[in-house]
Amino acid sequence: MAPPDLEQQIAALHPASFAWALACTRWNAAEAEEVLQSVYLSILEGRSRFDGRSTFKTWLFSVVRNVAARARRRHWLAARGLWRFGAGSEPDPDPHTSLASRQRSDRVRRALGQLPARQREVLDLVFFHEMSVEDAASVMGVGLGTARTHYHRGKLRLLELLGPEELR
Amino acid sequence: MTPGDDEARIRAALAEAHREDRTPSFDSVWTASERARPGHRPTRRWLVLSAALAAAIAAGVWVVARPRPATGWHPTGTRWIGPTDFLLETPDLVTLHTLPPLDPGADPLVTPPPARRGLP
Repeated sequence: MAPPDLEQQIAALHPASFAWALACTRWNAAEAEEVLQSVYLSILEGRSRFDGRSTFKTWLFSVVRNVAARARRRHWLAARGLWRFGAGSEPDPDPHTSLASRQRSDRVRRALGQLPARQREVLDLVFFHEMSVEDAASVMGVGLGTARTHYHRGKLRLLELLGPEELR
Repeated sequence: MTPGDDEARIRAALAEAHREDRTPSFDSVWTASERARPGHRPTRRWLVLSAALAAAIAAGVWVVARPRPATGWHPTGTRWIGPTDFLLETPDLVTLHTLPPLDPGADPLVTPPPARRGLP
């Protein structure tokens, strides 16, 4: 059994971890949940241990990213390249969400889906999870310079994809 | 447009992308992970142990109760000779079935040799 404080820390970060898992799986909700389960299992079994070299959130997110990458490779092998953005796992539309809102959200996700994985990841970490580029680099397992390059290129590309009228 | 505006747009875009996130409850995900641990599958573990025990008992019963071939029984009155058995026979081999008769006079233990004379 994991120590109670560890469980509490994980529970506190659970919504953010799920959001990050979604970004790592290109908003495939079922896959994101599966990834999170594997992450928790790996922590429970002691295969992933927090060594205090970064913040707990940075460590947890890097575990999520690694597990998601493994799951993606596994699914890719299973589907032999037939996997598409969000294919086959589109969640049921929430009746309380307006159609216009859903369409807007889908449009942004599609734009993000067109970015290379590292650009998408660094933007998600910095702009949604409020991390520094340095922490994002640590989560992604790349150098700071590389993360900065992905960050700047990603910003430019996303703005280009969103167009002038989107979200103004 | 300033860089600050661009960043605000990207921040809004990311928020929009995550607007539809429907996070499953922590308890459901955590419990599923705990159940998936190898040491925490009591039902499956008991099933495996029971099956192994049953297999061991069945193997023991079979070893004890299996029909054994009768020992000490050989067919009598017949002897099958294969068509190629002659190849195993050694030519001119004489098998001694009895002890050959020996000449008692030639046996040094039975008749001691005569004493030799003329010698110092």
